[in-house]
Amino acid sequence: MAQKKTFICIGCPLGCRVTLTIDGKGAVAGFAGNKCKEGEKYVLEEYTNPVRTLTATVLTEGSSQPLLAVRTSRPIVKTKLAEGMAVLAKVRARPPLKIGDVVVPNLLDTGADIVASGNLSS
Amino acid sequence: MSRVETEVLIIGGGIGGAAIARELSRYTADATLVEKGADVGQGITKYSSTIMCQGANVLEFRSEYHNSRLVWAGMPLMEPLCRELDVPFKRIGSLELVENQAGMRHPEKMMRRFKDWHGKYLPSDIEPLQFIDRDTLRAWEPNVDKKYIGAVYDPNIAVNDPVRLTIALVDNAKKNGINVLLETEVLDIKAGTDGFEVWTNNGSIACRYIINAAGEYVGKIAQMVDADDFAMYPVKSYQAVLDKKVGGLINRMVLATGSGMVSPTIHGNLFFGISPGSQRLGKAHDHSTDKKLADTALRHAQELVPAVSAADIINSFVGFIVFRNFEIGWHECTVGVSRWVPRFINASIGFPGICAAPGVAKEMIDILTRQGLRLAENPRFDPYEKAMPDFSDLSDEEKKELIARDPRYGHVVCRCETVTEGEIVEAIRRGARTLDGVKFRCRPGMGRCQGGFCGPRVTRILARELGISEEEVTKKGGESRNLLYKGKELLEAHQ
Amino acid sequence: MKLHDVDVAVIGAGPAGMAAAIRAREAGAEKVVLMERAEELGGLLHQCVHNGFGLLYFNEDLTGPEYGHRFIEKALDTGVTPLLETMVVRLGEDRQIGAVNTKEGFITFRPKSIVLAMGCRERSRGALNIPGTRPAGVLTAGTAQRYVNVEGFVPGKKVVILGSGDIGMIMARRLTLEGARVEAVVEILPYIGGLIRNEVQCLHDFDIPLFLNHTVTQIHGEERVEAVTVAQVNGNRQPVAGTQRTIACDTLLLSVGLIPENELSIMAGVRLDPVTGGARVDETRQTNIPGVFAGGNVLHVHDLVDNVSWESEMAGESAARFALEGKQKESGKIVVRAGRNIRYVVPQTISGRRDTTLYMRVNEPEETVRIKVGDIMTKGVRAVKPSEMLKIELSAEKLGKLREGTKEITVDCEKRGGK
Ligand SMILES: Cc1cc2nc3c(=O)[nH]c(=O)nc-3n(C[C@H](O)[C@H](O)[C@H](O)COP(=O)(O)OP(=O)(O)OC[C@H]3O[C@@H](n4cnc5c(N)ncnc54)[C@H](O)[C@@H]3O)c2cc1C
Ligand code: SF4
Repeated sequence: MAQKKTFICIGCPLGCRVTLTIDGKGAVAGFAGNKCKEGEKYVLEEYTNPVRTLTATVLTEGSSQPLLAVRTSRPIVKTKLAEGMAVLAKVRARPPLKIGDVVVPNLLDTGADIVASGNLSS
Repeated sequence: MSRVETEVLIIGGGIGGAAIARELSRYTADATLVEKGADVGQGITKYSSTIMCQGANVLEFRSEYHNSRLVWAGMPLMEPLCRELDVPFKRIGSLELVENQAGMRHPEKMMRRFKDWHGKYLPSDIEPLQFIDRDTLRAWEPNVDKKYIGAVYDPNIAVNDPVRLTIALVDNAKKNGINVLLETEVLDIKAGTDGFEVWTNNGSIACRYIINAAGEYVGKIAQMVDADDFAMYPVKSYQAVLDKKVGGLINRMVLATGSGMVSPTIHGNLFFGISPGSQRLGKAHDHSTDKKLADTALRHAQELVPAVSAADIINSFVGFIVFRNFEIGWHECTVGVSRWVPRFINASIGFPGICAAPGVAKEMIDILTRQGLRLAENPRFDPYEKAMPDFSDLSDEEKKELIARDPRYGHVVCRCETVTEGEIVEAIRRGARTLDGVKFRCRPGMGRCQGGFCGPRVTRILARELGISEEEVTKKGGESRNLLYKGKELLEAHQ
Repeated sequence: MKLHDVDVAVIGAGPAGMAAAIRAREAGAEKVVLMERAEELGGLLHQCVHNGFGLLYFNEDLTGPEYGHRFIEKALDTGVTPLLETMVVRLGEDRQIGAVNTKEGFITFRPKSIVLAMGCRERSRGALNIPGTRPAGVLTAGTAQRYVNVEGFVPGKKVVILGSGDIGMIMARRLTLEGARVEAVVEILPYIGGLIRNEVQCLHDFDIPLFLNHTVTQIHGEERVEAVTVAQVNGNRQPVAGTQRTIACDTLLLSVGLIPENELSIMAGVRLDPVTGGARVDETRQTNIPGVFAGGNVLHVHDLVDNVSWESEMAGESAARFALEGKQKESGKIVVRAGRNIRYVVPQTISGRRDTTLYMRVNEPEETVRIKVGDIMTKGVRAVKPSEMLKIELSAEKLGKLREGTKEITVDCEKRGGK
């Protein structure tokens, strides 16, 4: 049976509601609602492999700054965001750290590192 | 749970209780003031319009009203009192606007009555009322609506800061020997033959005299000992404060019969409120603002000063004027010994209770004496308080000097009101324990961003100075914490 | 610090101030001081730990702190003099600055030129006049952001957010990730107030309910927020009777608009545009006061930091030139008017003699439109929204087509014909 899924394209301020049709075998069968090709590209990616950059903070130890801003070095699959936060809740960053320094390597085997996105001094 | 013994117990730290406590501290009285809130002056007093009038311009005043007599007794004491306690007081004058010829009857009556009362109920050194014509009105107040043909000018009208006055009164009372207990709520009272046993959330208090100055809650307190029937008529009244940037729209308080009023505040803002005539009965103790009331108040204010705009409102609130008898109207109060319980004295100071407070305090000494309390003068009574520094008000030289002495005055924490860390630390040293406590002492968070910027910073200073964690800091005591969780606490709880 | 010989003083060291100060140095101003009340440069960027910064300016997807640090380093490299923990409290019409800090006390000096870069503040509850009680737990989204991202606290665990501005939506995601539950985002308009990207990635990703055409009509709770009442609104944005529902929550965040922070500008006699809330400027970003320039959110509220940086570079460059030459040669003569479905245009006046970028916002969302600048250019645009700023570049050559003596030029957003 064919299945339909709706996405909002973020390619431009129009924000088209794009309906994706997936055939019985799970293959993409068509797009509707997008006003340009950009929309297909976006929706395809959102359907097959939606990824997001996780940005958050971690607690620090040995610094007057209570938190350090962190991010994933590249986008990770969307479904791992909450799990990623659970990992970060246990991390304590220690100074000195500079932007880009790895805080957690290979987060949840995604291949992305958690890196500092701010500096941390004592 | 502790047990306190005291001769006189004052219930309520509003302007009424505070003025009474301070008056008692002139004598060697053994007195205790209890306040349920985390700070004094946070009841009706906080909601007052801060207008100081002698009743010269108010037709509802009558010599047979106790309230009128108390105001007449109290107001001449107000300015000297503010001076002693170093709290602001400023005469701004008021203009009662007249719209048409028919409306002239009202000012004529006022002027006539003023002549009758001058030197009799009103002190003879008070400035006379004056009628001003359309041209003068325009010249004085160009932003008042052009439809008004003139106004009655009362030069005596002043504004002050009732919360600061209450705080200063209590500070001074404390200094002169009165015991003050905050976050102490009276829960029940038992009358014995010789005195009262009072239960609070903080233990019990044995006392001989009770002064019931509980503001909105006088009825509840009186009921505890069947002292009196207070048929409460809570009149809901709405007020809004405007951004200082429009503070110059008018220079004097303006009002019109059946309409609202708009007035400068002592701090350079404007505020507007609904006049008593259009106020509604509310549900007791329900301080929530509602849209209808807010819209009406705004419409009324715009009738007087069309440039008043909703966009400039920075804060608004609802207060209650509690009075006993709806028939008599809002200009009556209940100050005196209970009809049924000796030594139980009600001090429901009515409206305008701030003006009446110094008079109430004086009268209370007489009442207590008549009830058998023996009072000797306190030889060490010191009537003076010194206000804390107000950085934004200092000259450049004074600013330099102050920062040189204490660098914390060089750290501006509240940008809207230019309040420094030095002032906040001083406010805490003087007894502020909450965000509101700091705010009402030195104004961080009173400005247009309402604490958006300075909130986190004041929270941090409070936590540091009080030696508590930031989540323990409250807005106004009790459960009013702004920060419920530490970072990551919620995530850890999930695991 | 000696301040008698300052060429350019920049007030505020957020993205706008940093960009202005750097460019002022690059344009030859000798002594450029960057005045900031916080302990470090960077302004609000430090608390914006999310990504999406620099996509245009650096062609990279950076977080706020990352974007900020690039400018902080550059400011120090180019020889900008930071003046930290210093609050400007006074600004005279003669460019006299009065400031306080803990070390030098009260400082006064008169730089040759000034760039205003104080940013903006959030609208508070008072300005909205939301009925109800006044408990703890009502805070602006930006204040919550500071608590969550910098101070290390989470204000509550059941949250309603009023307003779908970008900060509100970003905070909906941040609070969810931190373990709180966002019960609803409530928006009075029929469309969101922020970027679509944020609707998708902050709300949809986390199944956070969005109520369009709704508002909060009552706040409940004596000491701490206990609930809010939400109701649908009609076309006049008035609550519709019978649509109220009460949502239990312990926190209400407000994300209901930003207001340029122009108290100092007003003191200095700077004329403001009632629509933007910022100064009226010409294309060099000079205000009506000679030698006083403005850039970034203090001028008009931007949605992308990249534009803030570009605009402020312009202000910085002009300020440097003013400082070096002692005056400005040509100022804007032609008034730019906001026409059909245009809410405002910055700059408000142009000289018509150099390349100029017009920044603008529309009143209402529309699709398939063209932006028409007088009769010298038109540009087709697929869709416009009040939340997304539009930029139109006008070359000096195009502007040369203006008739001699043109006093006024109108920018319209017109429907395109056809399908
Ligand atoms: C909108 C408005 C405008 C006004 N404008 C003016 C004006 O312009 N000029 C003027 O002179 N007057 C004005 N008034 C009147 C004036 O504000 C009041 O008369 C005065 O503040 C009353 O003071 P109070 O001490 O009696 O009450 P409150 O200030 O309410 O003090 C009572 C205190 O008792 C405490 N308390 C209550 N129950 C207990 C308990 N069980 N145990 C311990 N403590 C308890 C409360 O917490 C409170 O702090 C206005 C009033 C309103 C509402
Ligand atoms: S599909 Fe094309 S037109 Fe529609 S939102 Fe995406 S980019 Fe814009």
